[in-house]
Amino acid sequence: MQESRMIAAYAESLARKLDFNPSLSRRVRQEVQDHLWEATAAGPPGNRHEAVQRAIVNFGDPHVIAAQFATAWLARQTWKVGVTGILVIGGVFVAMKARVTWYAAAQWGLSEDMRDVANAVGWIDVCAFWLSVIMGIAGCAYLVVRRAPLTALCAAHCNRLRHLLFLSAVSAVALSVSVVGDGVLTALRLVGREFSVEFLIPISLMVIEIACAGILIFSIRSIVVRMVHTTALLKT
Amino acid sequence: MLKGHLDLIVLAALAAGPAHGYAIIETIKRKSGQAFDLPEGTIYPALHRLEQAGLLSSRWTTAESGRKRRVYALTRPGHRALAERRAVWERFSDAIGGLLGGTAPCKSPA
Repeated sequence: MQESRMIAAYAESLARKLDFNPSLSRRVRQEVQDHLWEATAAGPPGNRHEAVQRAIVNFGDPHVIAAQFATAWLARQTWKVGVTGILVIGGVFVAMKARVTWYAAAQWGLSEDMRDVANAVGWIDVCAFWLSVIMGIAGCAYLVVRRAPLTALCAAHCNRLRHLLFLSAVSAVALSVSVVGDGVLTALRLVGREFSVEFLIPISLMVIEIACAGILIFSIRSIVVRMVHTTALLKT
Repeated sequence: MLKGHLDLIVLAALAAGPAHGYAIIETIKRKSGQAFDLPEGTIYPALHRLEQAGLLSSRWTTAESGRKRRVYALTRPGHRALAERRAVWERFSDAIGGLLGGTAPCKSPA
């Protein structure tokens, strides 16, 4: 049936523009098809082919509709990046503190010859971690100060997200340096000791830190990729 | 003019009860006396945005035709938002009505 192909093609063209959000894309495809069939059936009796064409014209330009969806998506991602950043930094902080507390409780000190290296690494670790915290707080402050309503122009959301992604990227890099530093410090404490079940505690806390940093990097990367797609859609 | 008020229009169209996208468009056209000739597709980003804001909820149902259909309904915050926006609109409308129906505006400050 030609009419059904026309409707499917239109829904597909809109859904393809929403690839930056696959679940939204699937949902919109289904809704658009239902809408167009309904509009076709409700139209004046006569040529069905013309009724479908009229329904498609009345629905509007898929590019314009996709751009409106993209605006809402950008606004949402901005908050998502901010919240993820804070949760991840908080997670790393808790794991780091728990590990240090464990060392103190278990009296796992450093040997004399490792102390200089550990001090240097520890200094870099602390600086990197606090840089990451400052960038995270700056990101949240930016979100609160530069609030934009959901109905704001797409360019406003794009700029907010771009600035926030920059702050988050700096925070993620600093956090990664800090996690690597923690890894080195953990290795320095484990080296030379006989393996025991106690090793699992600092190692699992390190795994949590690495996972947290990974989540932040992965979410930033995924949003950057989708944002590039979205802004390309909005420019054309 | 419509752009800034689309959210209010959609919320008002759903005040009578849950409806799917096409029915919402039809309600808007009918109740506004066909005054708003908006491209029908623009309703969906607005519905999505209002749902993300927690003012609407939605669920899939199956229409009589057997097609899957997304039905939207006002949530409790949605009802509250509608009442607030309606009150703001009525105050604005009264103020403009008073201005247009009242004395002629001053041409220059005293």
